[in-house]
Amino acid sequence: MNNAMRFIRKLLSKAPGVGFPGAALLAFSMFLFASVPVHAADRELRVAFIPLENPEKLINNVKPAMNFLEKEMGREVRYFITLNYSAAVEAMISKKADVSFMSPLPYVLANKYSGVEAVLGEIYDEKPYYYSRIFVRKNSGIKKISDLKNKTIAYVDPISSSGFMYPHDIFVRAGLVQGGLEKPEGGFFRRVYFAGGDQQAINSMFGGFVDAAGVSQYALNLLRPEQRDKVIAIAQSSRIPSHNVVVRGGLEPETRQKFISAMMKMNRPENRGLLRALYGTDGYIRVDHSSYRSVADMARKYGLLKE
Amino acid sequence: MICGLKTPGARLALRVKNSLAMSTWLLAVGLLMMNFSPASAHIVPPEELHPVAESYRRASFILNLNPVFWPQVWLDMKRIEEALKVVDPLGARKFSEELVAATRVAQPLARGDEEPDMVAARRNGRRLVFSLATRGVALLLISRIDRIRPGSKRSEVKNHLNEARRVFLAFAETLPHLDPKGWKKMQIHWLEANSHLGAAGVMGIGARPMNLEKIRENTAFIRRYFYSNFSGFRAGKGYRLLPRPKTSETYLKTARVPWRLPPGANINKQLPRPRQILGMAVRGANEAETFLIALGDMAFDSPEIFGEPARSLGVSCNTCHNKGVTNPKLFIPGLSREKGGMDVSNSFFAGHANNGLHDPLDTPDLRGIRFTAPYGRNGRFASLREFVRNVIVNEFNGPEPDPMIMDGMISYMNEFEFLPNPKLKKSGKLDPEKVSKAALRGEKIFHRKFPQMMGGMSCASCHIPNANFVDHKRHNIGSTGAGNQPFHVGGLDTPTLLSSKFSAPYFHNGSLPTLRAVNEWFNRQFGLGLSRKSIDDLTAYVEAVGDGVQGIEDTVYTLDSELEEFKFFLSTYERLKQRKKKELITVLLKTVVREVQAHKWDVQDKGNLPILHDMEKKLSEALSAHLAGDVEMTDSKIADYHALYEKNVDKLK
Repeated sequence: MNNAMRFIRKLLSKAPGVGFPGAALLAFSMFLFASVPVHAADRELRVAFIPLENPEKLINNVKPAMNFLEKEMGREVRYFITLNYSAAVEAMISKKADVSFMSPLPYVLANKYSGVEAVLGEIYDEKPYYYSRIFVRKNSGIKKISDLKNKTIAYVDPISSSGFMYPHDIFVRAGLVQGGLEKPEGGFFRRVYFAGGDQQAINSMFGGFVDAAGVSQYALNLLRPEQRDKVIAIAQSSRIPSHNVVVRGGLEPETRQKFISAMMKMNRPENRGLLRALYGTDGYIRVDHSSYRSVADMARKYGLLKE
Repeated sequence: MICGLKTPGARLALRVKNSLAMSTWLLAVGLLMMNFSPASAHIVPPEELHPVAESYRRASFILNLNPVFWPQVWLDMKRIEEALKVVDPLGARKFSEELVAATRVAQPLARGDEEPDMVAARRNGRRLVFSLATRGVALLLISRIDRIRPGSKRSEVKNHLNEARRVFLAFAETLPHLDPKGWKKMQIHWLEANSHLGAAGVMGIGARPMNLEKIRENTAFIRRYFYSNFSGFRAGKGYRLLPRPKTSETYLKTARVPWRLPPGANINKQLPRPRQILGMAVRGANEAETFLIALGDMAFDSPEIFGEPARSLGVSCNTCHNKGVTNPKLFIPGLSREKGGMDVSNSFFAGHANNGLHDPLDTPDLRGIRFTAPYGRNGRFASLREFVRNVIVNEFNGPEPDPMIMDGMISYMNEFEFLPNPKLKKSGKLDPEKVSKAALRGEKIFHRKFPQMMGGMSCASCHIPNANFVDHKRHNIGSTGAGNQPFHVGGLDTPTLLSSKFSAPYFHNGSLPTLRAVNEWFNRQFGLGLSRKSIDDLTAYVEAVGDGVQGIEDTVYTLDSELEEFKFFLSTYERLKQRKKKELITVLLKTVVREVQAHKWDVQDKGNLPILHDMEKKLSEALSAHLAGDVEMTDSKIADYHALYEKNVDKLK
């Protein structure tokens, strides 16, 4: 028991971006997961979730969807929250997880080095893709991206698709920013910030702490309606394939097919309530790795992927 | 590549595929007006307020009320204390001791026959508790920053930094006004600190090193600000309690801090909405041709007829009486006890009319209101006009309403019909063909006189079936709990039972959740001796009486009906102009602009959002022209709005 407590304490000290109760839950779920006997892998489907939101809330919210999956697949489904994308990938490499949820850039990196494969894409407003946009305050006098010369911008995170690589690429393609992701100012911006989240980035712009925000198009929803009217997008990225559901390399074909079929059944109108809990998606669509070719190309362009 | 069209999601996939062409069109027309987005958030869930920030904001709101609803404040103070225990046990102990002392000041015990001075207790207690809460939150933030030490690992630093920044947001509704420069500086330091966190990458790819020195340098500025301004914070004696950063050189002493409702408040309208039936519509009249009704409908939806803070917060009659019925989800911590009601004689919405009591009332259903006089839960107003004026002026701090507004509101409210109920005959008796046997047995119980109930009364004595189930009288049934007060104090107006199935919770304070609970309460209160089966029967009867055809609308999409309603509102413009009612035209235009702003994001096809932006713009321009006295321009812009609406009416759903 002492070892177990030390393990939890260690995880608590490592849990990024979650509060104490969240970290405790996360650590506890990891502890339970770690204690599962190996032979159980033959019988159970193991789903790894990424803590994009409050882990406690997430673990409660996904329960009906996981129950549905269990019923549809006719086998036990165990689910847990990992610390981050790397932990989810490592869990899949070591066969401690069979499926997980990814965003585009982490996915193409994970695919290259671990063999995980995208099988389902999320749908937002009937589309399996979205965009990044450069938002500014309407009263800022900034009308086009070249007006941002010597100004400041907030992105989300250095490893984010819609919150860095794609919006950064807008400035590179326009010939304004020179160079890769390592020096994002690129001789154009006075300062580039990583705010830590879409909400922090767009709020920083709205509050006047930075001049622009390069974030997902959906970040606008994080402002109140009356605030949205005071903000305008001055540029849009190329299309970003949606977040996805991935399966580990070597997952038995039968399990893989059953999982995909069960998930697709969530698109039915009577099951739409289940989807809301799964990162707010409107539905799923079948995809394969080629759906993410454009992301891989961009990752190569910025040196994140080798040939 | 998108594959698998033969799968169960094929139909959806096809829609997606078709949408590709649509999206190209959207891109072409939308780039200049790209600030559109769906109403629901995808991919990026909103950040939840830190529990401590939530508690601090809520406690601050409640401590500024008179009276203070202490039970919620103590819960919130406990949350701050618990969070402190995790990072600073010594600080938490001191906080606990001071909290006990503050509790004694705020809620003193009587000594012998001597009653404590409760006014002084509240005044001193709230100041002490607010000061302690502010010091506690500042201490928590400082403790988190202090945990970012040389040699800390990235994951630890990220965790403490994130926690500290989220706690910092406890002050996000006050400090940006009290010290905008200081707030901005700190925000930039947060951004700097976060940007130096680096990145773990995915399996090491894309990893960036952390610069701990820079993080500590930037957080040190924020620490200094909080330490110097708030570690020894004592609230001043002003009426409004605010975290004034007195040592900051950029603190604005005369800053005006707008009121915000606290975390946990919900004044959103109910969706799906209650179904409203207007008598004039049943009679086949068009609201656009019934000027006073349309004007009253507009005023009912308008925060502009109220004063501050209701006006700025967007509170109108419709907020609580959604579609003239009720809003069962309405809740404001410190003012509400149950969902669906609040204290309307409080210091927040209208300080001048505060009665000094925390006495939340359930929001009554206004269906059939012309039949249910007197008004107010205790029936203190004989006429609806008197009652409505009191709501505007004394409950929500509005200016004395124009007589035409009053006439309009009464005309509108007089159109509120009960839901049609085929189970009832015109005599108010049940139609035996359309109800259960249990309901028919319950009808007999309803008419049975009970010697033990207020001198031999039956349920039907007050809820008279052939008089819309009211008797227009007040009775003290003992539901107010005013045990040691004179008998007349507890008298309450008899509510109608019609349409009551859709207006839970019940009783003046919303304390009973179901009609069955009401029957059980009467059974207990008067010792009626009704068996479980008899209660079942009586409940079946009351539910049959309170039933109605489609009490709730069958859609959650309301934009088209809202826009149609705004058209009715604007139909009053010409007559207001003829009557030279300039102020009412201002109210009208401000109301419709605000409504279009609030509802445009509900449009299902986001590609049509630019049309709504444009419609809003036309109305805003009409308002500016009207305020500038340019009648011709006002006419022209309103006409433009109508033309845009008529042209696109089929798209705006």
